[in-house]
Amino acid sequence: MSERRVELIRREDNAFVEATMLDGLAPEDLLLIERVWGPQRLRLLEKLLRRGVPRKERPESLHWDWGLKSGELRLLEAKGFGVICQDEWQGAMLVRTASHFTQLEEDKGKPLVYGDYIEAAPWNWRVKVLGQESRFMGVGSILFREAVLESIREGFHGRLGLHALPQAESFYETAGMTRIGQDPDKQDLVYFEFTREQAQRFLGDGGAV
Amino acid sequence: MARKRTMTLNLTEAEMEALEELARKKELSKTAVLRQALRLYQLVALRLENGDKLFFEDEEKKQAEVMVL
Repeated sequence: MSERRVELIRREDNAFVEATMLDGLAPEDLLLIERVWGPQRLRLLEKLLRRGVPRKERPESLHWDWGLKSGELRLLEAKGFGVICQDEWQGAMLVRTASHFTQLEEDKGKPLVYGDYIEAAPWNWRVKVLGQESRFMGVGSILFREAVLESIREGFHGRLGLHALPQAESFYETAGMTRIGQDPDKQDLVYFEFTREQAQRFLGDGGAV
Repeated sequence: MARKRTMTLNLTEAEMEALEELARKKELSKTAVLRQALRLYQLVALRLENGDKLFFEDEEKKQAEVMVL
C-alpha cells in the first residue's frame, strides 16, 4: 500500500484540509469502510422513507456494500483506493486494469482503467431533500483524478472508462469524458470514456471537476 | 506502489514477435503486455473455477464460441 497527500474542502468553513490517498487497499479495508458507512446508509434510508422520498430521488449508491466487493481484490486486475481525512474513510474507489478495452473508434481495443465503483462516504453526500450538506467536498473529484493517474501509471495514457449512475452523468460530462451511450448489458447505465487527449486536457486543467 | 521482482523470460522468435506486435498495437510496453496477460489469465481461471463459462460473441451477439482453459 502506498499513500499520497491530497486536499479536501471542509464545507463548514471552505478551508482546505489535508487528507491521504491510499492506494492498494486490502479486502479488510473495504470491510472496515462498510462497517462505518453501512449504519450511515441505513440512517439515511430511514429518513428518506419517513419523508416518503421516491426511489429515483434517493442517492443512487444507497444500496452499495463495500464489504461485498472485498473479494474482488483477490484479482490482480482489481485495485482499491481510499481517501482518509480526520481518521475517517471519506471515499473509496475500485478500478479494474485488464478486462476492459477502449470502445471509441480512434483507440478501439486498447486497454484502459475501468472505474468500477467510486463513492464518497454517506456524510459527504449532498442530500437536498433532507437538507444534508456534504461534510467534505471534492472527494469524488479527487478519486476520479486518481483513476486517470492510475491509467497513466499503468501505461494506458490516461484512458479511462466507466458506467455512470444517472445522478453522476453531469459530473463526467463536465470532466470532459465522451458519452458513448446506454449499455443494455449494464442496466442501461450510460458508458463514458476518456481518450488519452481528453485525459491529458483534464489533468492539464488541474484535474478538478 | 507494490514491491516488484525481476525475472528472466526466454521466448522463441515467434513469441517475441507476437509480444512486440501486441505491444505496438496496444500502445503498451512489453512488460505491460505480459502483466495484462497474467491479470486476464488469473481472472479467467478464477471464473472458470467458480463454474462460469468464457465465450466470444460476434457483432450481432449470435455465434458463441466456448473457450476452455
